[in-house]
Amino acid sequence: MKDPRRDNKVDIATRVMSRNDSFAARNHELLRSNDILTLNIISSPGAGKTSLLEAMAGFFGPGLAVIEGDVRTRRDAERVEKAGCKAYQIETGGSCHLDAEAVGKALEHFDLTDGELSILAIENVGNLICPSGYDLGEDMKVGLLSTPEGDDKVLKYPSLFSRIAVLVINKTDLLPMLDFDVDRAVRECRSLNPNVVVFLMSARTGEGVEEFCRFLKGQAELEE
Amino acid sequence: MHELSIAKDMTTIIGKAIGGPRPLDRVNVTIGPLSGISAESLRFCFGEVARSEGFGEPELVITLVAARLVCLDCETEYNAKDFYDGCPSCGSINRNILSGREFTVDSVEFDEGNS
Repeated sequence: MKDPRRDNKVDIATRVMSRNDSFAARNHELLRSNDILTLNIISSPGAGKTSLLEAMAGFFGPGLAVIEGDVRTRRDAERVEKAGCKAYQIETGGSCHLDAEAVGKALEHFDLTDGELSILAIENVGNLICPSGYDLGEDMKVGLLSTPEGDDKVLKYPSLFSRIAVLVINKTDLLPMLDFDVDRAVRECRSLNPNVVVFLMSARTGEGVEEFCRFLKGQAELEE
Repeated sequence: MHELSIAKDMTTIIGKAIGGPRPLDRVNVTIGPLSGISAESLRFCFGEVARSEGFGEPELVITLVAARLVCLDCETEYNAKDFYDGCPSCGSINRNILSGREFTVDSVEFDEGNS
């Protein structure tokens, strides 16, 4: 047999994300087997992920559980708990994304088998780049883009916007004050991702929240 | 910047493939424009991680591949490194992504005597 230490070139041909992906596959199987629809919610900081989750907690109540990813503090977990659902906070301690191994450990803090839980939302660390390459075991990535960020962001972050199943354009209540062109953002997202499902929303006023939640409920029922 | 944890995943993969750390001359990787990986950050982080883990100071050779796209309006297949430009035949940005998410450790190289 050839001793690789004696060759001066060793072919490896291995995907670097393969370790994360094997943890993600494990999470996915666990969640699927308990009929839980899992979302990986990704946006820049301040786009309204936690506000969206608070609004979702109002719709789903204890049928929703949330894993919060933040560099520090339990503040976001406390916000969504107050809104009526169970939450667990992962403090990444400086890391800019969640990985599947950390999510797998967080899942141990939930009773997935009680039948009450139908949707798990994972709020990723606020960042449009790093979380995009890390599958966590979700059924779908939800990309949240808020109107003050500008309508040109989709093509600047193609790694993320080409992978999302759902685009939520949040803070539509601010549209009259901004130059944000909704059609442009949607068109450019579809140019990376022809099948993306789009929702316009203001998590603050509640506009569009119910439509989004009904869509998720329908998707969760498909899982069962 | 997640390239530090990525660099550690790379040295784990390399260590497994060659049976543990040893000084390397060259590490060859491929990165696609939809991988979410910054070549510059990776180069910086990988150098640090490789050295601290006993892989010496290998040159990181990065092959940046283009994404392969197919126009949904005229069916032309084309390459793109960024996504602002549309189809070279008809200008449309309606397209399907065929590839572009690559991120692999392809191979490593070292001197015969360097073990």
